[in-house]
Amino acid sequence: MDDDQEAYLLLLLSDSNLPTGSFVASAGLESYITHGLFSPSARGLQGTMDATMDFLRDSLRTYARSALPFVSDAHRAVESMLAAPSNSGQDDASSTAVAQIKALDDLYEAMTLNHVARRASKSQGVALLTLYSKGFSRPAFMQARTPDDSDTLRQTQAGLFIDRLKLEVRREHTHGHLPTCWGILTAALGLSLERSQFLHLFLHARSLLSASVRLNTLGPYAAQQLLLHAVRPMVEREATRCRDLRTGYDVSTISPRSSNQEFDETTHGPAVTWPLGEILAARHDLQHSRIFNS
Amino acid sequence: MSAGVGRIVLGLHGSEAVFSEMSSAYPLKLLSPRIEQQNVSVVYILSYGGGLVGGDRIELGVEVQEGAVLVMLSQGSTKVFKSRPGQRLSDVSQGTSSDAITTQIMDVTIDYRGMLFLLPDPVTCFASARYNQIQTFRLKGAANAVVLDWITSGRRSLGEEWDFSRYYSVNEIWSNDERVAKDITLLEEQEPADPPLSQRTLADTLAPYSCYATLLMYGPLVQSTIRPISGEYANISVFKHSTPPDLLWSFSLVREGRGCVVRIAAKETEDVRNWLGERLRPLERILGSDVYHQAFG
Repeated sequence: MDDDQEAYLLLLLSDSNLPTGSFVASAGLESYITHGLFSPSARGLQGTMDATMDFLRDSLRTYARSALPFVSDAHRAVESMLAAPSNSGQDDASSTAVAQIKALDDLYEAMTLNHVARRASKSQGVALLTLYSKGFSRPAFMQARTPDDSDTLRQTQAGLFIDRLKLEVRREHTHGHLPTCWGILTAALGLSLERSQFLHLFLHARSLLSASVRLNTLGPYAAQQLLLHAVRPMVEREATRCRDLRTGYDVSTISPRSSNQEFDETTHGPAVTWPLGEILAARHDLQHSRIFNS
Repeated sequence: MSAGVGRIVLGLHGSEAVFSEMSSAYPLKLLSPRIEQQNVSVVYILSYGGGLVGGDRIELGVEVQEGAVLVMLSQGSTKVFKSRPGQRLSDVSQGTSSDAITTQIMDVTIDYRGMLFLLPDPVTCFASARYNQIQTFRLKGAANAVVLDWITSGRRSLGEEWDFSRYYSVNEIWSNDERVAKDITLLEEQEPADPPLSQRTLADTLAPYSCYATLLMYGPLVQSTIRPISGEYANISVFKHSTPPDLLWSFSLVREGRGCVVRIAAKETEDVRNWLGERLRPLERILGSDVYHQAFG
């Protein structure tokens, strides 16, 4: 994929109006505020900006460490499926990829032990699959330049695969969690893994800032200032720190004996780094009044 | 037997519980006191010198056979030191340095209708300590498990508050071939931040709490313990707090309610212990009063 095409995709994917359900998610921020944890230490704008950044950093750090390995492994699974030789090899490749995605989804379900986060993750994940099949597939009346060029074949195959996965989710054979589905969507569109990882974390941070504006802890201009000047180094740092992490879903025996193992889970696996955030997010539904779903 | 390796096999012969195996090697020590309660067996997991040092590695295999009930306790909190002053025998014998990560691995199999209660005191990591704990529970048929895993912020009397280097803990529960829960927590000191970001320490992210606990329960025989906690949780209604409460807890069901995960954060460790002691009171009928009070005071 050339740079122009990739830049164009980034423009589309970072549109805050995409129907992905992130508008109703605060990832625990609303509960954090209700429980008295949002506490600006200084008066005025600097205090609220600092307090917002504190939440953003803790939230992004734990999300990156726990979810990015799933984005990466799902992206790789779909990319290698789409790289399989056409015709004969495709059905097998597609079945293999479905099995891999199910294994990833199962592991993420077992690791996401807070029911509110689980619920939000599933609804946003499935929305991404629908976004691809309804929003990013080529309309039937628009003919490809040539019916058998490789881009068209790739798009057709990705579309079939995502339709198949949607059916699996509808039959409750798999969960369709957000990080897995983001990896699938971006691989299907041909976005590189590195871009996909960065954009996923950026969107997490931006949606938290939107939630701050709706919760009235931050003004819309201050949110933009943070986005331009503070969020970028934070997202870059987490993306760099977590880019090589894996889930280990395809490793049969995992152990901390790093020397002769292919995968040391304790250093290269997913983990939750902010237990306080887990408790607050799980308490979301207990709030007497609330405007978000998570 | 290699250093730090231990094994426990508990079976039921008729109505009598029998340890067909119980062995351990330095620095791990296992003790099984005689207790009043029939059909319940207790093992204390101890370490020489009351703690573990850098490079120590404990590897414990446990088998709870059909219908047996095993309670595993510790005596005081598990202390993780960077190095043990004076005595360095385990380091020398293993050829490890105190920079190596202290590791505790436990692999437990619980057979049909067996029960495991892992109710240790909290782990306390001293300044600069590094600790990995990896616990796997394999439940077969209608087996049951209650697993408590908790950590304090350190030696607060010495001003240590989340001052260790690394704490990594995995609790994984399998029910037959299904992985029902895999809880992974990583608490790590944070590297220096570059401007415009200011430095944010581990203590900053965990404040204002000094003790974090995770309680996992799974199986048919713990349903009567889960139900009242679930009911209590559903009745909570949170109005706006101006400052964080002294204790916060959350409750989530896993796998259609066959199990649950409870998380607790509190300013004081004793508050967590009391909270657990009250909510887990239905277990007293199974464990007996003595064992129950050993675990929860």
